[in-house]
Amino acid sequence: MSSISFPKTTRYLMGLALFLGLVSMSACTGKAGAKGVLKMPAAADAKSLDPAMADDLYTNEAISLIYEGLVEYEYLKRPHQLRPLIAEAMPTVSKDGLVYTFKIKKGVKFTDSAHFAGGKGREVVAKDFVFSFLRIADPTINSGGFWIFDGKIKGLNDWREKNKTAASVDYDNGPEGFKALDDSTLQITLANPYPQLLFVLAMSYGAVVPREVVEKEGKDFGNKPVGTGPYILERWMRGSKITYVKNPGYAHSSFPTEAEEGDDKALLADSGKTLPLMERVELSIFTESQPLWLNFLSGQLDRAGIPKDNFASVIDSGSNNLKKEFADKGMILTIAPSPDVTYTAFNMLDPFIKKAGPKFRQAIALSGDTKDTLKVFYNNRGIPAHSPVPPGLAGYDENFINPYQRYDFEMAKKLLAESGHPGGKGVPVLQYEIGQGAESRQMAEDFQRRMDKLGIKVQINVNQFSELLSKIDQKKAMMWGVAWGADYPDAENFLQLLYGPNAAPGPNGANYNNPEYNKLFEQMRYMADSPERRQIIHRMMEIFATDMPWLPGIHRVTYGLSQKWLKNYKPGYMGGHIAKFLRVDDELKAQGVK
Amino acid sequence: MFAYIVRRLLYAIPILLGTTFLLFLLFNVVPGDPALQLAGKHATREVIETIRAELGLNKPWYGQYFDMLKQLITFDFGRSYWTKQKITDMILAGAGTSFSLGFPAFVISTSISLLVGLVIALYRGSKLDKGVVAFSVAAQSVSLLVYILAGQYFLAYKMGLFPISGYDPDFIGRWQYLVLPIIIFVFLSVAPELRFYRTIFLDELYQDYVRTARSKGLGTKAVLLRHVLKNAMIPILTNLVITIPFLILGSVLIESFFQIPGLGDLIVKAIANNDRPVLISMTVLGTFAYIIFNLISDILYALVDPRVQLK
Amino acid sequence: MKFLARKIKGNSLWSDALRRLLNDRFATWSFVVITVYVVMAILVFFNLVGSSWQESMGPSREAPDLSQGPLHWMGLDIFGRSVVLKTIQGTYTAMYVGLVSSLIAIPIGVLFGAVAGYFGGWVDDLITWFSTMLANIPEFLLLIAIAIAMGKGTTTVCIALGVTSWVGLARLIRAEFMKHKNREYVVAAQALGGGHMRRIMKHIFPNVLHIVIISFSLRFVTGIKSEVILTYLGLGAEIGQRSSWGLMIADASGELMQGVWWGLAAATAAMFPIVLAFSLFADALRDAIDPKLRH
Repeated sequence: MSSISFPKTTRYLMGLALFLGLVSMSACTGKAGAKGVLKMPAAADAKSLDPAMADDLYTNEAISLIYEGLVEYEYLKRPHQLRPLIAEAMPTVSKDGLVYTFKIKKGVKFTDSAHFAGGKGREVVAKDFVFSFLRIADPTINSGGFWIFDGKIKGLNDWREKNKTAASVDYDNGPEGFKALDDSTLQITLANPYPQLLFVLAMSYGAVVPREVVEKEGKDFGNKPVGTGPYILERWMRGSKITYVKNPGYAHSSFPTEAEEGDDKALLADSGKTLPLMERVELSIFTESQPLWLNFLSGQLDRAGIPKDNFASVIDSGSNNLKKEFADKGMILTIAPSPDVTYTAFNMLDPFIKKAGPKFRQAIALSGDTKDTLKVFYNNRGIPAHSPVPPGLAGYDENFINPYQRYDFEMAKKLLAESGHPGGKGVPVLQYEIGQGAESRQMAEDFQRRMDKLGIKVQINVNQFSELLSKIDQKKAMMWGVAWGADYPDAENFLQLLYGPNAAPGPNGANYNNPEYNKLFEQMRYMADSPERRQIIHRMMEIFATDMPWLPGIHRVTYGLSQKWLKNYKPGYMGGHIAKFLRVDDELKAQGVK
Repeated sequence: MFAYIVRRLLYAIPILLGTTFLLFLLFNVVPGDPALQLAGKHATREVIETIRAELGLNKPWYGQYFDMLKQLITFDFGRSYWTKQKITDMILAGAGTSFSLGFPAFVISTSISLLVGLVIALYRGSKLDKGVVAFSVAAQSVSLLVYILAGQYFLAYKMGLFPISGYDPDFIGRWQYLVLPIIIFVFLSVAPELRFYRTIFLDELYQDYVRTARSKGLGTKAVLLRHVLKNAMIPILTNLVITIPFLILGSVLIESFFQIPGLGDLIVKAIANNDRPVLISMTVLGTFAYIIFNLISDILYALVDPRVQLK
Repeated sequence: MKFLARKIKGNSLWSDALRRLLNDRFATWSFVVITVYVVMAILVFFNLVGSSWQESMGPSREAPDLSQGPLHWMGLDIFGRSVVLKTIQGTYTAMYVGLVSSLIAIPIGVLFGAVAGYFGGWVDDLITWFSTMLANIPEFLLLIAIAIAMGKGTTTVCIALGVTSWVGLARLIRAEFMKHKNREYVVAAQALGGGHMRRIMKHIFPNVLHIVIISFSLRFVTGIKSEVILTYLGLGAEIGQRSSWGLMIADASGELMQGVWWGLAAATAAMFPIVLAFSLFADALRDAIDPKLRH
């Protein structure tokens, strides 16, 4: 009886095979690469393409191709410096450091949109910046970027307060702090000195947006971006890919003419050329590392970070160089420290932690072995953190040694006894909060096992992110692991993580509150980088290293690979996406991808 | 019949009320104020309070519940807390894509498993039967992740039969990207379905009436087609119909490994980001789909089995 | 289940079933495998086996080595713990989750499905209302909420799984009852004056028993597998107290590509026989007790 069904199945399967064959053939013919296309990966999708919502790295990068602000970071300079972008030149600053005056370049235009008169993009004027900045403080927009201006701009907080109860937000009567003196002059007046102002203006929050489009689109503005940047959004397949095409009218930014000493001369091959260098950019979103890696290996991506899982097969563990098979393909290894710090925070308001005192925390720090952690969990991609401040930032001190950032079990036992808990006696079960994922669990298990040797029991609690946030906000968490990435290249951005008034729900989740540290912070935050400032920072690090409100972890180092046809890549850039500087050599690429 | 359908559709009201109410109870149990997450890494109390006011989170839960009901009555699903997109747009953007992946996979896997299930049920106890069952048990014991990793690595990367990942919204262009995910999807669903259908067929094959029919001299083929399939229809339909809504919801892992912009991770992301309006909308839509497909399955019961009455 | 016990003692049909079960080679072997796992789980529970699994016995992620004694046969994990011991420890967690979640889900599913399908009308409406509600809440959210409300841990996982997974079975049972209640034999029993309880238990239930049994075996297997997912979400086993196959597989997701295959291999190798045994045993059991299959 089955003799009837089987041939049918066979025929069906044959049909399917034929269909698959056809489709896969079309897949192969579709591979013929278009010219002038840059294909880059991203680890997560953007949440919106509205600069007011550029709250995370990936959103910021996706936005930075479309929008720009007054200033940007120099592409080739390290440590980072700023250069004018829509501003004609760097601003003039009044003697007291409170008034910044910007001249705006003539002829910078928004890209075309039906919401402009005649559908043609119009020229950017100073008023546009006033509108864009006020939008960040608009209580109905609730931008995650309000902190960049909060308490810092003259009259801005009053303006926000007043508009909370108003029927509609009044953009026409802005505060004294933001003023358009004429079409090409913008004046920012500060409430207090704020040396980081130019840094935050280089973030996507500081980008200029066209008022008429924002008002017409309302909340849909995040899907229909209209900016002044090098690229225009072509298509956004959420969770999959963002494609951009060149902004044809773009003329106000060119490739830098100066590189650092020690940089490859080839980096200056495009010097002085008007940006961007490519016709199209594709940002592919990979939440899984296998498709990222396979696409890179088959030449479908011009660049990729090396996934942790593949690290051992790419990098020779002895020499820390690229293995031969990759080097032979002309791939280029790039290594750059990323400006961040990982740490385990103690809640200083927890009754036991408060009572146990610094010696207890020092003992715990000494029983951890950061070098071992680096080896087991990070393929040695990082350096031990001695203070909150990562390398590459103004204020970083590579000679600063935290006496408790090392493994010394005997000393740990001794300090534990001195803190009044010999052999862990009288220590309650420590509650260690982590997020989801195997890696953070294994790291917590490592901590648990180390504490077990000291005679201290640890309970590991796995949390949903929102659950962890509310535990920290309600000051119920005892200790938890977390990381902080730089918003701008200044030590202040990291030292504020321990400033008393920034306690939870603010960035100082540890609720650390040391009067001397607070006083020093208030002093240094208003200073520009100088030997005196570095001295103050050094003192703050010493206080940190005595109190140990955190177990400092590591500063991560990013390993990436470029295809041999990707030109102009320099690792470790802080400001947004570098797509406009990059160039793909189509001839080399045609040779490389068969 | 018409009155029956209207009555069943009216059921939607208490179910929706109950489901959304239950959802709000859960929001109260699950800690985590959405405003905390939205305020970002530089949060201040003032910013959190402003966000709470904007989203209406400063009202008591019953106030929030009524706000939500008012919105739903006007078929306004609102906007995502997280991306500020219109939720209707979010769902429409992904539903077609997920369906393009799920529907062919569903049709193929159902055909294969029904057919094979029937054949091995007929040859029950034979080597073929035992072999297929053992194979499908084995196939079920391997993690989904292994199929995806291996399929992508060998078929797409090593052998170059398919693109490694990606998508094209064009109706023709999309299929080159979907074939491999569909194959994996089919492979995953055939094993459990096969065993399920085998059981159903066995059950019918050994009913008295089949034996009676056989003893009356009706040919085996005729028995199969006329009686067994018809009587096995009820459990089969139930199974099929409750599967359909899941086709649209997509598969999180397959979509993220193959970069398919479907609905797969909408709920996952909404839970991770505490995005309540998206959770509510997806739940409400899911409930609608469930009610409608149940209704269809009940009507189908009545059509295939006259002893079932629609009241 | 009282009903079952009585039948086995008193009725030749059930003793006959038992006899035929014992004659089935597959069934016997499956039963042996299940027994071995149960015994292992009990031994682990009383800390008679594998209680020293937390001890580090060598370098991190040492590959399997047959020369260093049985504890090294499946290599060592990230902290140098024996994978063999972890796997044995995991038996307990797996059996516990499978058993308890099934024991919660199956009675609820059968009861609700039977009552809804048999009585129909408002009873059916009410049960359908409730189960539809439950089925439509995203399962993740429900599991997380239950876990948070009850405190995290293995028992919570079982309860959460049990409470969320009866809906499918209830629907199947309901459909079967709808089909059977109009069949001649039930109608005849009604004519002879059988009460509702008698008709449900004596006449219809035996005809859907195989669905219950198959569900049990599948549920058990799903329970073991769900533990993996829930562990990944952080709702599973208490970390550092008991090992579980779920934890081992979750770890493998990051280690496999680095060439550390033994953790995954050991967990999968431990899971495979019990999954297979349950499936085959269910099939054999079904053959043995289904009265219609006797020729």
